[in-house]
Amino acid sequence: MAAGVFLPGGVLTSGRVLQTSKNKLKFRAVGGLPQGAFPSYASYVVEGTIDLKTHSGVATKNVFAGPPEAMSTIALPGLSRTIRITEVEDSGSVLRVKGVVDDRSQLRQGESPLVDITIDSGRDMASSSFLNSEVSLKLE
Amino acid sequence: MDARVDITDVYAFAAQEEDDEEEFSRTALVLNVNPLTLASAFDPDAIYEVLVDTDADATPDITFKTRFSTVGSNGRQRATVVRAVGADANSRDFSGKVIIKNAPVSFGREERIAERKDFKFFAGVRSDPFFFDLLGFLAGFKFTGSDFFADKNVFGTVLEVPNSALGTNPDIGVWSRVLIPAKDLETPGNGELVQIDRMGRPAINTVFNHGADKVTFNTIEPSGDRTTVTTTGKTFLANFEDVLGSFGYDAGSAENIAKILLPDILTFNFNSNAGFLNGRKLTDDVIDIELNLVTKGAVTTDGVGPHTDLLDEFPYLGRPHGIGEKDEQD
Repeated sequence: MAAGVFLPGGVLTSGRVLQTSKNKLKFRAVGGLPQGAFPSYASYVVEGTIDLKTHSGVATKNVFAGPPEAMSTIALPGLSRTIRITEVEDSGSVLRVKGVVDDRSQLRQGESPLVDITIDSGRDMASSSFLNSEVSLKLE
Repeated sequence: MDARVDITDVYAFAAQEEDDEEEFSRTALVLNVNPLTLASAFDPDAIYEVLVDTDADATPDITFKTRFSTVGSNGRQRATVVRAVGADANSRDFSGKVIIKNAPVSFGREERIAERKDFKFFAGVRSDPFFFDLLGFLAGFKFTGSDFFADKNVFGTVLEVPNSALGTNPDIGVWSRVLIPAKDLETPGNGELVQIDRMGRPAINTVFNHGADKVTFNTIEPSGDRTTVTTTGKTFLANFEDVLGSFGYDAGSAENIAKILLPDILTFNFNSNAGFLNGRKLTDDVIDIELNLVTKGAVTTDGVGPHTDLLDEFPYLGRPHGIGEKDEQD
């Protein structure tokens, strides 16, 4: 069996995504911001728990000062989001997660409350948007 | 890094008197620390320094050193400032001649200013004068039109000196550093003081250095900026040239610009108030200038401008957000 594959019934094997019980998965993914030519100034952390049976769960997004290799515990104000997971699509080693930010006070003006998170356990990668820019994250 | 000793910005500008607009006889030196005011006081074990190079050798000839008392049971903290010259300017101790003694730290909205002879000094919580669309930068230059720092505070120290205290050559270099006891490091050392942070021009370390090299850059002296070897096996100077080259500069231009940026010192002619790259005023749009320069014109502006809460007179930094504003309105 290849590492990092979601099997029917929600069984997943990957060192980067923890299966905390039969149907529950825990993940944490980190990426540097900005991405591209400049060195990272901050770290984008997306983490959560997913119930593969009920296709529900909770995730959070935070931006911490410092690059991933020297991330601080200082969350930049105004950038934390709590996401209620509403949909989980399981296709092989990739989970496509949709959610919503119920607390609209967390959102910036014009920011959509709808959130997409892709978890690719085969590549130990994840992705999600930050201010409408898709950010690549590394599963931890 | 401990926020108390985390430098946010350093500024050097002509402190013009309104009725004397053509004369530049005094200079304001501003050192801001404690981003987002995460800490509640200055570090009493640290020495906060503004260093001045008077002969363009990237070593300090005159240093203004500030040390703070512990916070008393009454919640008060006090500062003493010395001016050190010669060997004392780079001695990594609190040697020097006292120019300000027991100045009160302003933890409230109103500024408490200390004056002694020709020197003025302020230390305390203030509105952060730095302006930048940080979120747009983090999103990969998709600027939002919003200044992340518009409602943020920092701890500021402002020292206003007669230009005679900066030496006789008006072309000086200015930078700041913070020294802490080595015992306070994550890997504790002996009793000596070590440099935990330093800054000359804004955002240089942020923009050019990766990972562990950022830490190294904070701990070396400007005289080693060009020659110190980084984790890439290349010098900081070569790394800077690589970054500039990635934005389309040819090798010769990249080298020339890198040599302007290193050593990381704020060059300043104290007979001029031209602003950045001549010193740095609180209103200078340093991010636009640097973005334009580094990206070879690909990014010209982040779309935000100077804060409007600055004071016309000493200590120049605006009053803090969220502290005593109601009292002022009343």
